[in-house]
Amino acid sequence: MTSHLKTILLVEDTEDDIVLTQRAMKKSKILNDLAIARDGQEALDYLFCQGAHAGRNKNETPAVILLDLKLPKVDGMQVLQRLRSDPALKYVPVVILTSSKEQEDLLNGYKFGANSYIRKPVDFEQFAQAVQHMGLYWLLMNETPSRSSAF
Amino acid sequence: MAVAFLICGALISRMTRRMRLVIEDAQASAELKRTNKELEAFSYSVSHDLRTPLRAIDGFSHALAEEYGDKLDEEGKEYLRRVRAGCTRMGQLIDDILALSRVIRQQMKSEAVDLASLARSVAETLAQADPDRKVDVKTCERLPVRGDAGLLRIALENLLGNAWKFTRKKPDARIEFGSLEKDGERVFFVKDNGAGFDMAYVDKLFGAFQRLHDAKDFPGTGIGLATVHRIIQRHGGRIWAEGKMEEGSSFYFTIKEAP
Repeated sequence: MTSHLKTILLVEDTEDDIVLTQRAMKKSKILNDLAIARDGQEALDYLFCQGAHAGRNKNETPAVILLDLKLPKVDGMQVLQRLRSDPALKYVPVVILTSSKEQEDLLNGYKFGANSYIRKPVDFEQFAQAVQHMGLYWLLMNETPSRSSAF
Repeated sequence: MAVAFLICGALISRMTRRMRLVIEDAQASAELKRTNKELEAFSYSVSHDLRTPLRAIDGFSHALAEEYGDKLDEEGKEYLRRVRAGCTRMGQLIDDILALSRVIRQQMKSEAVDLASLARSVAETLAQADPDRKVDVKTCERLPVRGDAGLLRIALENLLGNAWKFTRKKPDARIEFGSLEKDGERVFFVKDNGAGFDMAYVDKLFGAFQRLHDAKDFPGTGIGLATVHRIIQRHGGRIWAEGKMEEGSSFYFTIKEAP
């Protein structure tokens, strides 16, 4: 493991939820940088290093992507499908973080290759706990294939 | 010739009438589909959009209490606690309304279901969530029916959950689930020796948002029995209840047996 912490990408359009996620991460001592995309198109621009993010190095993939589903312009499912069809982004862990508990979203999320699905609870303590578990699992426990072995 | 013409005319007019009926039927079914789709979009929006601001209210009240708590006196802290309790309650209401709407719009399955083992599994979950309670739950061996297992589970969760809740103050809490034969019909029942209810209000029991007990003693949103009612209706059955204050309640339901 490198000492340099990889960035976490948060794809979220609600400002309140962005602030609350940042607070929950701070409380869970997750120290990774947080990149924020406020709609699906911005998320794709970030991941594919295009548009406003054209200068970014595509090899620096996020440690984990926290993806809301209901987003302006391009929705979360479409973002997920796009990045799962890209060889370089295929293995990046994606955690769907959404308000919806609809069965269809859950099934589609897994079908399109999400690694886990967290329903944002109303209660902040539960929310902070969910973020902490997410961080523990995807940032510490989980081993993703290194780039050399992925090809 | 004129007769043939008349017959032809009558036939054509009858056919047009029939065709109009067919077209109206198709329109009604298209309309129904559209309404269903709209209802689905509506519940999705309720689920997602109503919860988002609620999360903000709860989250920032939490932040305020934690980071600025030393600037608040006890009364101020109590207000914040009430704000957060309100959020939890509204979150629960939204979830229950959604569960009710899902029960109404969901496609029904017809499968073999053993209500007795379903009831045992629900009772186990209740006991696990509330390990300090001692409740004597009785079910019979097997109660096979045909119906939608998911929906019937929700119905039993509500009925047994209520029995569990309303026996809270009884030291010898008892719940029984079983069936009896009445006028050649199989009737299922959930009985408890809990708080019961006043039969004067029995008509209100199955209406959404109706509560017969005070929220402090027995918390709830008042949507549970409305949900059960819908589920039993969708199974072609009936549901009714009997109760006596402080002595207990009995809920009875039937399910239309497949021919």
